[in-house]
Amino acid sequence: MKRNDQRNQSAQVNNTKKLSILLIDDNESRSAQLISALKNSRYQVSHLLTSGASLLKKVDELKPDMVVIDIESPDRDILDSLHTLSSFNPKPIVMFSEQEDSETITRSIKSGVSAYVCGNADPKRVRAILDAALARFEDYQSVKQELADTKHELEAKKIIESAKRLLMQSRNMSENEAFHALRKMAMDTGQKLEDVAKTLISMLNTIK
Amino acid sequence: MNIEMTTQSTTDQTQVITRSDILTPVKLGFVSLTDSAPLIVAQRLGYFRQFNLDVTLCPQNSWSTLRDKLQTGLLDAAQLLAPMPLASSLGLGSMQVQMSVPMVLSQNGNAISLSPVLCHEILRNNALAELPFPMPASLLRQSIERRKKSGEVALRFATVFPYSCHQYQLIDWLKQSDLHNDVDIITIPPSEMSSSLESGLIDGFCVGGPWNAKSVREGTGITVLTSYNIWQDAAEKVLGTSYAFAEQHPETMAKLCAALLLSCEWLQFLPNRFEASKMMAESGYLPEPIDVIAPSLLGSCLTEQNATPQIVPNYNRFYFENALVVNAPTIEMQELLLNKMRETKQLPQDKFSADALQKILDNMVNKSCFESALALLAK
Repeated sequence: MKRNDQRNQSAQVNNTKKLSILLIDDNESRSAQLISALKNSRYQVSHLLTSGASLLKKVDELKPDMVVIDIESPDRDILDSLHTLSSFNPKPIVMFSEQEDSETITRSIKSGVSAYVCGNADPKRVRAILDAALARFEDYQSVKQELADTKHELEAKKIIESAKRLLMQSRNMSENEAFHALRKMAMDTGQKLEDVAKTLISMLNTIK
Repeated sequence: MNIEMTTQSTTDQTQVITRSDILTPVKLGFVSLTDSAPLIVAQRLGYFRQFNLDVTLCPQNSWSTLRDKLQTGLLDAAQLLAPMPLASSLGLGSMQVQMSVPMVLSQNGNAISLSPVLCHEILRNNALAELPFPMPASLLRQSIERRKKSGEVALRFATVFPYSCHQYQLIDWLKQSDLHNDVDIITIPPSEMSSSLESGLIDGFCVGGPWNAKSVREGTGITVLTSYNIWQDAAEKVLGTSYAFAEQHPETMAKLCAALLLSCEWLQFLPNRFEASKMMAESGYLPEPIDVIAPSLLGSCLTEQNATPQIVPNYNRFYFENALVVNAPTIEMQELLLNKMRETKQLPQDKFSADALQKILDNMVNKSCFESALALLAK
């Protein structure tokens, strides 16, 4: 069984018109930030770590107006299927907005967040929550992207290095000649050095 | 391979790479399952490289996320549940984005498993010593009636996605005994099936490999029939991309199909199937032991812990005789799925005119891409 930790981080209950939000995200610091960003009396946020099938029970108990979920959570299919059931009927945000706002949709998927709206929640307030969620998730995505970019750069360097070595061995080139040959091929074909290097490695290994 | 060497006498000793040699990057999404074999085999055996593709396999944790990433172009193409491209093209459960299907990747592969508690109840109710295989849904009748009479909650089954063959196969099986309106069907990720059976959240499920075998090995489930016993040789997974991507990158898509056709063909031979299981277990994409991955690929349906397996030769089918039998995209297949969506009321009657529907189907069945792939292979 996976961890199943539920914490109710609700603001003080003082009126019945609060919009209740169920947040499903096991990145604790990201969700803490979103909760604090939404922490005013108009919202009541419940936080649930990715929890598998017990999500159904939770949704049934809380009947939230909106669900915000990490797009990488395996539980997304559970939520996605609920719109076919009559009792609860949460719609993915993409189907909620009347004028399909494809830019927001793409932005939210890129930043790794997805949202479902249930019942007749006020579109303006939903929008405000989505914007807040987007901002938090984008922050995290950009950190992740930076890490990925750095890793990619290192890998590209490695690939170019091995292409160079292969050329030096198989064509008897000096290091300088090998590099210039690679650069010429890249310029001739209008491709990145790294892509040319990859192709070259795959070719030279085939010919061997 | 299009390769040209020019060795000049001067220091300018250059190997010429032409534009067509450059590897085309492709982000290929999928959900890790036994029938993801064609993708993993193509990667391992270098079939993508053979067609100058630099394919990154992108495993996804849910079908909805796979769909959303494909719709918004974060993925170039994907292995999809056969009904998903149609659902997307019709805007069911998501944005309406026209999809293109250039090939079928596999047939069959699903099975229905029940909890041991329910199985014992069935044996008792029907005065049986053992369950027949394939089990008819009619044997569930008394359990369903008893629950109705005593006011208990109805039997609850799970599938992996509303727009899946699993869903329609389960409903069709129940329908054969007119029980399709008497059970609840919910959606649960496949990896949660075994534990949900054990915890009693559900009484049965319809899911693909390796999750039935896993549940049997763990003793949480008993497999009572395979999808082959409900729909013979029906498309299960397809290659899909957005219509826009297919229009803009016809060559890339044809190469992708060609590479995947090679691995489907390779997978038709039984000895290769065990090797495929090993590749998958070792690839890190499907972190399950080989004794749950291999059986369905070898035509073996595990039924109950320590019982002799049932022989289901077509449990997973990727290719048969030639590329046309299993892999060609057809309008008939889409029409069959469309009917299932109508029968299950997923598609509202009046959502589309007949002409609009026809156009959506025509745009989806990408025969020209499939034919280009065959031409590439004939070279």
